Amino acid sequence: MKQSLLKEIIKKKTSKEEFAIVTNLNNGESEIYQPEKELSKEFKVYEKQIQIFFKSKKNGVIENTEIFIETYIRPVKVIIVGAVHIAQYLIDFAKSLNFEISIIDPRGYFASEQRFPNMQIINKWPDEAFKELDTNENSALIALTHDPKIDDPALQYALNKKFYYIGALGSKKTHENRCQRLKKAGFNQEQINLIHGPIGIKLGGKSAPEIALSIIAQLVSETYKK
Amino acid sequence: MKNSLDEKILEEANDWVKANQKVVLATVIQTWGSSPRQIGSRMIVNEKGDFSGSVSGGCVESAVVRECIEIIKDNKLFKKIEFKVSNESAWEVGLACGGEIAVYLEQIN
Repeated sequence: MKQSLLKEIIKKKTSKEEFAIVTNLNNGESEIYQPEKELSKEFKVYEKQIQIFFKSKKNGVIENTEIFIETYIRPVKVIIVGAVHIAQYLIDFAKSLNFEISIIDPRGYFASEQRFPNMQIINKWPDEAFKELDTNENSALIALTHDPKIDDPALQYALNKKFYYIGALGSKKTHENRCQRLKKAGFNQEQINLIHGPIGIKLGGKSAPEIALSIIAQLVSETYKK
Repeated sequence: MKNSLDEKILEEANDWVKANQKVVLATVIQTWGSSPRQIGSRMIVNEKGDFSGSVSGGCVESAVVRECIEIIKDNKLFKKIEFKVSNESAWEVGLACGGEIAVYLEQIN
């Protein structure tokens, strides 16, 4: 692989584009495929098969050829509400798992640069903050403040936007109260059941990194169910 | 959903190249039966034999490192290698799980 191609691949990954790398295993030639981009003569003959791999987000060698395709999809966007202790650990896990994190917290003293270095925190209330974020059914929400004033609007937003994962921190009782409030706000039981509350898989631990691990484990598991 | 949980090996490869190292990229391109790592899994190797990432669960990495060093020495651009079930005489270069994998090696030039 040429270094120039490697650089181009990294650039596309950084700018979160979707693409594929196609490689001819017989001669070592490789290039980037994107739907709007014209393939070189070398790979043009395989365009249909390349499209099929790209659309199904698959990696592999096209049958009866020596053409290898590797597809790259956009990382999943995860919105954390609450720049709390658990969020600090969540960021570490999320980075190595390639989730794209945004943190919302209207409370300035939580969302400080010192607590979250190199992390842009949206220091606004959820209703305002979500205007700055491009979200859809491939997005996930982790609500950590267990303060109804902050968590509830975010949960409502995520339910309306049909996020594939919605989790909320808090005890069973806190969650029961939350469900009642959402019911009053007009959400039906089916929608409310989509919220993972209390959040996370059962690990047994109670420390911040352990809770973060249980949340991220649940998020990964739900990501593969998509 | 596939492929989202990227291991950032290409980014690391680029860092190594920037540090004037010769780098070979090893990618799992095909698997048969039960193989430890999925297609697209990667590792990188430099001329000294330092490596990062993985193409199996530690079963064939040493052989991949040797092959990559060869490629750099011979100044070759690419090579395809296959690994099958391990046997006693070559315990370190087979897959204990009984699977088979094909790995594509390419030098970054």
